[in-house]
Amino acid sequence: MLPFIAKRLLLMVPTLIIISFVGFIIIQAPPGDFVSSYVAGLQRQGDVIDPELIAGLRSRFGLDQPLHIQYWRWVSNFAQGNLGYSMSLRQPVADIILERLPFSVTISLLSLILVYVIGIPVGILSATRQYSLADYTATIISFLGVATPSFLLALVMLWLLFVWTGNAQLGLYSMEMQNAPFSLAKMLDLLNHIWLPALIVGIGGTAGLIRTMRANLLDELPKPYVTVARARGVGPTKLLYKYPLRIAINPVISTVGYTLPDLIEGEVLVSLVLGLPTLAPILLRALLQQDMWLASSVIMIQAILVLIGTLLSDILLAIVDPRIRGSI
Amino acid sequence: MSNSYPTSTLDSALEIPANTLLSVRNLQTHFFSREGTVKAVDGVTFDVKQGEILGIAGESGCGKSVTSQSIMRILPKNAKIVGGEILYNHQGQFIDLTTVEPDGKMIRGIRGKEIAMIFQEPMTAFSPVHTIGNQIIETIRIHQPMSQEEARAKAIEMLYRVGMPNPGRNIDQYTFNLSGGMRQRAMVALALSCQPKLLIADEPTTAVDVTIQAQILRLLREIQADLGMAIIMITHDLGVIAELTDRVLIMYLGKEVEYGPVKNVFHHPRHPYTRGLLASIPKMVPGRIEIEPIEGSVPSPYAMPTGCKFHPRCRDFMRGVCEVSEPPLIPIAPGHEVSCYLYGGREERA
Repeated sequence: MLPFIAKRLLLMVPTLIIISFVGFIIIQAPPGDFVSSYVAGLQRQGDVIDPELIAGLRSRFGLDQPLHIQYWRWVSNFAQGNLGYSMSLRQPVADIILERLPFSVTISLLSLILVYVIGIPVGILSATRQYSLADYTATIISFLGVATPSFLLALVMLWLLFVWTGNAQLGLYSMEMQNAPFSLAKMLDLLNHIWLPALIVGIGGTAGLIRTMRANLLDELPKPYVTVARARGVGPTKLLYKYPLRIAINPVISTVGYTLPDLIEGEVLVSLVLGLPTLAPILLRALLQQDMWLASSVIMIQAILVLIGTLLSDILLAIVDPRIRGSI
Repeated sequence: MSNSYPTSTLDSALEIPANTLLSVRNLQTHFFSREGTVKAVDGVTFDVKQGEILGIAGESGCGKSVTSQSIMRILPKNAKIVGGEILYNHQGQFIDLTTVEPDGKMIRGIRGKEIAMIFQEPMTAFSPVHTIGNQIIETIRIHQPMSQEEARAKAIEMLYRVGMPNPGRNIDQYTFNLSGGMRQRAMVALALSCQPKLLIADEPTTAVDVTIQAQILRLLREIQADLGMAIIMITHDLGVIAELTDRVLIMYLGKEVEYGPVKNVFHHPRHPYTRGLLASIPKMVPGRIEIEPIEGSVPSPYAMPTGCKFHPRCRDFMRGVCEVSEPPLIPIAPGHEVSCYLYGGREERA
């Protein structure tokens, strides 16, 4: 197992180098750069810009350098932990990420808890009582959940909450709490707001997990080893939990790692609709404005999370399934 | 939901000889689906004496496996025992297994402990993510008050007994670590781990190659001689029946066709189907191999023939008799009976 993990960790290095290069190139691919989109914005407002100022800006940000030099400057700084400077927000990239990441992670974790706590038991119930009223109900609701886009759900929920309570449930804090110092009241205010995005983000995943869990378990229940266990005198509870469920849940356990990158990007549309100060909308804005250091850094962090998540999944799968363990 | 044993109410139990272990009487197990009802087992009667080997033979789909699943009460959800009795000699008293609560305490105490089963496909009979030892130890501890260590020692002993090459290591292996023959041996060790009184072997040699088949049969015979349990050997292989069993029940489409001592049935087969089966075994005649198949094919389970189920394929078909009603069981010799109008029963019909 340890050599396997070491090998996989080593393989990550070339993978990340390739990702950093391809990512940087793609961010730079559209015509123009940050300065030209910045200038275009000013010109739209009727300002006349001195060409010398433009050239000055370019050389200040190093945008007049050839691409490979710009790449090297960014990537060597990134490797040393210096994530660069956001030209559009005029703030160090690291500060932006540290400020917004906790919200992204909290929303994602809350929604993940919702997904597993509801998805797994309902899926089991649905499979063990196949074609019962409970199964049909779970099936209909989960189909709806899978089919409803999260941004639409967010809009509908916003409207419903506005109609019912008269409050627009936007952002993560109430107006008056927005700039207040940290306190218990502010914490409660946050909880009072954050459940909505967590719920909306979690609904699709919950519905999907109900379907997966049901299908996996229905695949396992009629397998001979279950019948054999029954013929050995194994009781009904163990007959469900020790054998078929143990195998049906493998794919769920082994995909836990894949949710790691979702910590950042999972809630992009919901965040846009609800106006949340999370990381995903910032990435979108950075890409549109060609704020390349911010965009590249966020994408790199995502890539690292994808790789770690995949490795984590593989390790978990090897732990739960001896067939995989035997082959690595 | 009663936990009392349904025993004394059975009048029929009074006639059973005391050395009988299992008496199946007019068992009917049907499958219900949207397409209709399949009478997988439709009136089967046989006895198993203590320590004897009974063979049940027939083509695929004749109901032999469903018979064994009915005895164990491990039928799929859409199957139901709709008639008959399965009288099991439980410590001197006969219990009707068709009336016990499915998956209740009573039947769970019998499954694995008193009646154990060997299945066709040992690869899928063990859970792929648990070691074989885990499953054997679990079975032992369900039925016997033993500590984990005692049960483990017992499991290793069983693995040794069935001829596993390295029991101390094999116990911690998974099915995918074992060869086909070793898997089937592990399956036998699992079934025998609680010294059952009755072992049901459902096609135990179908999924293994010929050399291993011979080893497994030898093993079963040795262990049977050792432990003295009764065996129901379910197979489509008449060679296995001839080699291993004392008595044989031939089934066709859920019906009992012929039943008697193996020597009688094989040397003097009465039913045209039994004769056909025996004739269809390839024979080596100098210069060529002769195979004499049974004409026609097995009808769809949803469109069963009237009367004798075999009449559309029968060489001795008697128009106006065989397709009209089902033939009764006719005694031919002591302990040998056949369900065919060729041997009488036509008068009773009138």
